Amino acid sequence: MNSTLADIADGTPRSADPPAMPLTVTLLTLVRREFWEHRYLWIAPLVVEGVLIVLGAIVGHGHVHLPNDTDFSGLQNLEAQKVAAFTILQWMLSVPACVVLVGVVSWYALDCLYAERRDRSILFWKSLPVSDGLTVLSKAVVALLAAPLVSFVVALVGFLVFAGILALRIAAGGVPSVFSWDLLEWFRTELVMLIMLMVAVLWYAPVVAAMILLSVWARPNPFLWAFLAPVVAPLLERIAFGTHYLSGFLKYRAFGIWGTLAHGPTHGHINIITHHGLHPVGTLLDEFNIGAALTDIDLWLGVAVTAVLLYAAIRIRRYRDDS
Amino acid sequence: MTAVIEARGLTKSYGATRALEAVSFSVGSGRIVGLIGPNGAGKTTALKAILGLTPFDGELRVLGLDPRTQRDALMREVCFMADVAVLPRWLRVSQALEFCSGVHPRFDRSVAEGILRKTDIRMASRVRELSKGMVTQLHLALIMAIDARLLVLDEPTLGLDLLYRRRFYDTLLNDYFNKARTIVLTTHQVEEVENLFTDVIFINQGHVVLEASVEDLGNRYQQLTLAGEQAARARALRPFYEREVFGRVAMLFEGRTAAELKPLGELRTPSIADLFVAKMQGSAST
Repeated sequence: MNSTLADIADGTPRSADPPAMPLTVTLLTLVRREFWEHRYLWIAPLVVEGVLIVLGAIVGHGHVHLPNDTDFSGLQNLEAQKVAAFTILQWMLSVPACVVLVGVVSWYALDCLYAERRDRSILFWKSLPVSDGLTVLSKAVVALLAAPLVSFVVALVGFLVFAGILALRIAAGGVPSVFSWDLLEWFRTELVMLIMLMVAVLWYAPVVAAMILLSVWARPNPFLWAFLAPVVAPLLERIAFGTHYLSGFLKYRAFGIWGTLAHGPTHGHINIITHHGLHPVGTLLDEFNIGAALTDIDLWLGVAVTAVLLYAAIRIRRYRDDS
Repeated sequence: MTAVIEARGLTKSYGATRALEAVSFSVGSGRIVGLIGPNGAGKTTALKAILGLTPFDGELRVLGLDPRTQRDALMREVCFMADVAVLPRWLRVSQALEFCSGVHPRFDRSVAEGILRKTDIRMASRVRELSKGMVTQLHLALIMAIDARLLVLDEPTLGLDLLYRRRFYDTLLNDYFNKARTIVLTTHQVEEVENLFTDVIFINQGHVVLEASVEDLGNRYQQLTLAGEQAARARALRPFYEREVFGRVAMLFEGRTAAELKPLGELRTPSIADLFVAKMQGSAST
C-alpha cells in the first residue's frame, strides 16, 4: 500500500528521471500556445495599424482644426506648435489600438477557459503535466501582460511607419507641413501612453480576472453572463431596494482611477489644446499624479481581488468536466 | 510485485446514483488490463478517479500517489487518451510537438517525429484538416513519445475503421509496451483486443464482477459445447450460463475439472467476450 515510485521501478530498466521542466520554459510555452489558439491577439493590432498606415498614405490634405484665436506669433513658437501637433497626432492615432485592445482582452478573457470546454480539448490539456494553477496563470499573463505589450509595441512601430510616410509626403509637398518630428517629445508621448497602459492594467485587472472566472465556470456561455450581468444586476437592485450602489460601483471601477491620475499639480485642468496654442502630450508627465494613482487603496484592493478571483478559477478548473 | 494502481472501497456518487460502490481492485506493473463493462457501468468514472479528474471517496493509490492531492506529480508518470479528450481543431502538428516538448520533461520529440514520418500526416497540417484516423495516429504518436509508467486508454479507437484499429493496437504492443509500463484499456470492441490483455476486470453497475489474469481464466472457467440431448446431464453440473446456437448448446462452468466435462462434449476455454456476456447477464439477473 505504501509503495512509492521507486518501488515500482522493477522490470525493464528505465532512463533516469529527467530534470523537471523549468517553470519559465513551461510558462513561456503556455503563453505561446495562447497566441496559437487566439490569433486575434496579434492579428487585430496588426490590422488596426495596417489600416492607419494605409489611410496615412492615401488620405489627402490633412486638416488640423486649431482654435480661431490661436497665437502663431514668432517662428520659433510655430516650430513648437508643429511638434505639439505631431505628438497630438501620435496620441490620437493610438486611440483605435486602445479600443481594439479592450475588445481583444475582454473577448480573450471570456473565451480562454471556455474554449477548451467547448471543443472538449480540456482533457487533452489535462493529460499533460501542467497544473491548473500554471494554466490559469498563463491566461492571466496573456490578458494582463502579453496582449497589452503586443498591442503597445505594434502601435509604436505602426506609428513610426505612419510618421515616415507622412514625412515623405510632406517632403514631396503633397501635404502641408503642419507637423514636426522631435525625438524627445515622441518619446515623452510614448511614455505617457505606457504609464496610462500600466495604470489601466492594474485598475482593470479584477475585471479581467472576473471574466476569466466566468470563462472557467459559466454555463452555458460566459459571454451571455458578461453582457447581461452588468445590465440586469443593477436593474434588479433598483427594483428590489430602490438603490443604485451597483451601478455606482461599476461606474467607479470603469473610470475611477483616471480622476486620481489626472489630479496633479494643476488639479485636473489638463489642456493640451488651449486658446494659447498647443502643448505637446509629454506635458502630461508633469500633470499626472502617478504617486497618487499607484498608492490608491482601491487600485491595490482590486489587485488583491484579482488574486482571489484567479485562485477561485484555479480551484474550479481542478474538477471542471463538461464531458 | 508492487501495485501500480491499488483501489480499496472506491466509491463515487453522482447525486442519488452510485457510479462506483466500494470498488476494490489492483493493477500490477507491466500488465495490460482490460477494464470491461457495459455503458454506465462505472468504467469511465473509475478511470477519471485514477487520473485525478474527479473527487471520490475511499482509498486509491496510483504509482504510490493520491490522485486527489498529488495530481501534478502523477501526471508526469501517467498518460491518457480518451475519446472525450480530443485534440483541439486549431492545433498544428508542429505546434503539438512544440507544446509537448515545452511542458513535458519525459516527452521525446524525435520519437514522435519518427512515428509521424511513417504516416501521411504533415507537420504544417492543422488537426481540423486531418481525418479522424489521422488525428488518432497523431495523438498516439504524442503519447508514445512520452516515457510514462502508466497509460490509460478509454475507448481510444472509437469511430475508427478496422484497419486503423488494428494498426493502433499493433503499434502500441510492438513499439510501446514493455515490462516497465502498464496499460489500462477500456473498449467496446472486446473481441478485437482480447488477445492483448494480460488481465481483465469486469465491472457492472458500480461493482467489480470479476478480476483475474488471463491465465487464471483458463483454469477457472470452462466452456462446453454439446448436443441438445446431453444438456440435461451437463445441467446437473450447474453451468452459470447457457446459450443455444444452431441446435447445439454452449454452457459455461466455473471450477469444474476437465474429467467431469470432457465426456459430455467439446471443451475449451471461453473467450473473454463470451465470459463477459455470461457474467453481465448473470449479475443482471441476481
